[in-house]
Amino acid sequence: MSALEKLERFNRRLSDWFEWIGLAGLLMMMIVTCIDVIGAKLFLVPVFGAIDIVMLSQVVAISFAAASALILGRHVSVEFFVVMLPRRVRALIDIIIHLLGLALFILIIWRLCVYGYLLQTGGEETATARIPLSPFAYSIAIASIPVCLVFLLEFLNSIVRVVKR
Amino acid sequence: MSPVVTGIAGIGLLLLFFLLRMPVAFAMAFVGVAGFAYLSDPGPALSLLAQDIFEQFSSYPLTVIPMFILMGTFAFASGISRRLFDTTYTWVGQLRGGLTMATVLACAGFAAICGSTAATAATMGKIALPEMKKHNYDNALATGTVAAAGTLGIIIPPSTILIVYGILTEESIGKLFVAGVLPGLLLSLFYAATVVLLCLRNPGLGPPGAPTNWREKLRATTGIIEAVLLFLLTIGGLFLGWFSPTQAGAIGAGGALLIGLGRRQLSWQKFFEAGKDGLRTSCMVLFIITGAVIFGHFMAISTIPFVLADWIGQLPMPPMGVMGVIIFIYFIGGFFMDSMALIVVTIPIFFPVVMKLGFDPIWFGVIVVLVAEMGVITPPVGVNVFVIKGIAPDIPLHIIFRGIFPFLGALIILTVLLMIFPGIATFLPSLVSY
Repeated sequence: MSALEKLERFNRRLSDWFEWIGLAGLLMMMIVTCIDVIGAKLFLVPVFGAIDIVMLSQVVAISFAAASALILGRHVSVEFFVVMLPRRVRALIDIIIHLLGLALFILIIWRLCVYGYLLQTGGEETATARIPLSPFAYSIAIASIPVCLVFLLEFLNSIVRVVKR
Repeated sequence: MSPVVTGIAGIGLLLLFFLLRMPVAFAMAFVGVAGFAYLSDPGPALSLLAQDIFEQFSSYPLTVIPMFILMGTFAFASGISRRLFDTTYTWVGQLRGGLTMATVLACAGFAAICGSTAATAATMGKIALPEMKKHNYDNALATGTVAAAGTLGIIIPPSTILIVYGILTEESIGKLFVAGVLPGLLLSLFYAATVVLLCLRNPGLGPPGAPTNWREKLRATTGIIEAVLLFLLTIGGLFLGWFSPTQAGAIGAGGALLIGLGRRQLSWQKFFEAGKDGLRTSCMVLFIITGAVIFGHFMAISTIPFVLADWIGQLPMPPMGVMGVIIFIYFIGGFFMDSMALIVVTIPIFFPVVMKLGFDPIWFGVIVVLVAEMGVITPPVGVNVFVIKGIAPDIPLHIIFRGIFPFLGALIILTVLLMIFPGIATFLPSLVSY
């Protein structure tokens, strides 16, 4: 098994695990909202800080699903033009696109770490439940690591495709 | 370069990235950050990148999207779609083209609990296409109907695209939902009428099924009670002010889950698959919105939307003429771009123009969704067509596209009707306050 394949396997497993975390976040959004509605409407007892919990669960859900969605091709892209090009040209285009994607997500990780630190030092919290915000900014940064790995792998694979003919 | 020229160059670069198959969300974020950095300073641009991502991901108004998407995937996993189809087939199956009409009606029913066009087409395609094949239906009619009727998913509430439009334009999601009801019902009727006309012209296209008696019809109707209840609870609750949009979606998702459990349709595997499917779709939509927000900041600093609004406002052209041009741009754009991406990219540019011309924003939302629907079924990137192709790989693409053209005609007629009679979309929203 080549180093690239090993890295790909590792990243797939990591992305799968991250997706489970994302799913937990999504289900948490649904469950907390349902309990809040039923509690508030039927028993006049809403869930304390429900909105805070739901919006922070969304942070977890979306960010931790990003890598899996990328691997499975769920992020929308315009396909009709590139598929008409020769394979080699396609591979060259893929090199550029994946490099740009990698650059973007490296920037995102870096800036979210900086942003998280600002939230941490500023003691930023949610309005009602007073949940600290910084861990969630850091979590988006962490969840973006496998996204970077996907782009890196695709970038390297595209180079191999160009070189191999 | 002046801000406007930079903005135009940015739009050009964005289109180039789209053509080169860069994911739409990432292309918008990349160009948005680069453009903002060029026009202001790299420091603020990079700060804005992190801030925008965090704020969008943690935005409470956006939580409505995952909830309604989850409702649709749980509804599918709970077998609601199958029972909807069985019911509509029992009612109209004995007519010529009855299976296709049943498909249209079942799609309309499923659209009332699912906001995605591809999900509606995929769900009904899996159920209806094997039946139509068994009954010797014409391939073009069968596949064209399912692909076209799937578009009802984004006009009949709840609609993911109307939610995104509402968020981008700060319009009431409740009003947008109710605005989609009459056009959605009319479109269902138009689609059914298209099937009738096609089968009248060539009866061999859709042979009639076995007749059913009233007892069977009434018994079959019990199959849709849960779907009706779920729709009434979520959308009705939203209009009556019982729930916020997010709460309505969550209650709908929870309700669909309970129906699946009650009907013993939902295994753990199905539950997790449906959840993950909903998660991936939600992730895609939220990333697109985040990309659009970042790109929107660049557009705002480039002043393009305002310059464009001023320029169009001074054109010696009646407002409806300008609207016609905008609709034509959406129509052409739909050929090449996913409908969600098209709307997210263009709304920040066109919406100020539409407002300046004095059009109703709710009406415009419905029009835009209708025109975007055309893109879902037209080549070369008709998403629904590829969904159907995936379900029926033995049917060539050109046959599916051929089957779609009559239904495209129905969509165009409805769009023209909406332009002539805006009340079709604006009457119901005028009755609700939410």
